[in-house]
Amino acid sequence: MNRKEFLADCGAKGLAGVALSLFPWLESCTPKAQQEIKGEKARIGIIGTGSRGLFHIKNLLQMPEVEVVALCDDYRPHLEDAAQYFPKAKLYDDYHRLLEDSEVKGVIIATPLYLHGRMTIDALEAGKRVFCEKSMAFTLDEALEVYKCRERVGGVLLIGQQRLFDPKYVKAMQMIHEGKIGKVVGVRNYWYRNNDWRREVPSPELERRINWRLYSEYSRGLMTELACHQLQNGSWAMGMLPEKVMGSGSLIHWNKDGRDVYDTVCAIFTYPNGVNMTFESIISNKHFGMGEQILGSEGTIDLVTAMHYTDEPAPKGSGMHQLVEQIENGLMSNSVFAGTSWATETSALAPGLPIMQNVKVVSGESSVGAEADGSKELIEAFAHAVITGKQPDKVLEESYYATQFALLADKAMKEGAILTLDEKYKIPYEPLK
Amino acid sequence: MKDSIITAAMKRREMLILLVCFVVANVVNWCAIVKFERPWWEIFSQIGYVVVTTLILYGLMLILRIAWHLFMRLAGKK
Repeated sequence: MNRKEFLADCGAKGLAGVALSLFPWLESCTPKAQQEIKGEKARIGIIGTGSRGLFHIKNLLQMPEVEVVALCDDYRPHLEDAAQYFPKAKLYDDYHRLLEDSEVKGVIIATPLYLHGRMTIDALEAGKRVFCEKSMAFTLDEALEVYKCRERVGGVLLIGQQRLFDPKYVKAMQMIHEGKIGKVVGVRNYWYRNNDWRREVPSPELERRINWRLYSEYSRGLMTELACHQLQNGSWAMGMLPEKVMGSGSLIHWNKDGRDVYDTVCAIFTYPNGVNMTFESIISNKHFGMGEQILGSEGTIDLVTAMHYTDEPAPKGSGMHQLVEQIENGLMSNSVFAGTSWATETSALAPGLPIMQNVKVVSGESSVGAEADGSKELIEAFAHAVITGKQPDKVLEESYYATQFALLADKAMKEGAILTLDEKYKIPYEPLK
Repeated sequence: MKDSIITAAMKRREMLILLVCFVVANVVNWCAIVKFERPWWEIFSQIGYVVVTTLILYGLMLILRIAWHLFMRLAGKK
């Protein structure tokens, strides 16, 4: 989906017009903003050309306004894979050298988590406009350091929270903020997979470099790799940040291969008004896949499938139709002689209504990225920002808190404690509503 | 085979029964509208249901009348 389609998608559902006041970070998608950069090029360098880097590269290839001028990776096979797409790009194995390259105006950082903070700060200080994959940083302190660095030097910093750019999420959040599901009373997130989360390793000494996600020295596991996306939805829907966090994590299934990050996590985030947001991830059962559900007092919105379920009874047929149904039920039903005093409440079978047409559902199975999940729109917004130098409004703060709460939950699991975000980590925050 | 003669009186009677069935079907529709709190324009929009109900009622009446006729004939023979 290109920008035009994105806007058409939003416009078809009445998002155009109101979108910019409610979702100011989408400004780069407007025709006016496009006109602004007509004929200009965003000269971009990519740091980290592994699987996620390549995913971005495939999107970048479809963007005429982008020119990839430099590539960097210290793992040669990845660098060579990426170089095939951009034969004219300069190749580096040290990101510092890439940052010294004056032709590079913006950098995309798609490296292991533990490198995000340092590389982002170095890039910002080198005057580059930066897009860094989520999560923003490896520790609470480092995330704050990154945020303050961006405040200090100015410039552009976007983090890979692509749901902010996904039309179905934008539409869903608009509906939620308009009260279509009543008062938000719960946020339910889960992400189930059934795979070992491993990448193939050509030789054993590369194990920790390639499978960095599995080691706490480089990664915070499921919280920073998966939860980070979903936690941001909660704040977006609730229009506020969680107050306290608790959770539990364990290594229960993939525990024989030397990894030390949890393969099962469950966290609860409580908002100041008492509403809970949950996140659960298990990577040894995929039955339920990925789910992100905003529960309201009058209905539910499933963000992943873009469906709206109302708690009101489904619209009924005409009076005659209902009368016939009632007579039929009367004639066909079994006589009840006795029954339990309670009945198990199963989930509603109401089919729900799609909030948008032609929605592409992302299963969450891919560890690299999925088509039509907002990633392309996010990178397009970054390319626009590289050319104009304008920081898209509000997204950095959202990304910052998504990272902080993912890290805080990981900490809560490790400490077995209920934690609140320390005052020193709080930054100015304006809710997205 | 004998010719069947449908007299004007028979036609009038059948028309009257059909009309009564139609009125009853409409009354059922009105009752359903009231009972299920539906909008009154269903008087017109549900005319299809009303027509079908009319025919069902008329059919039922026909069966009852045939049954009655047969019963009376059998009773008369005895």
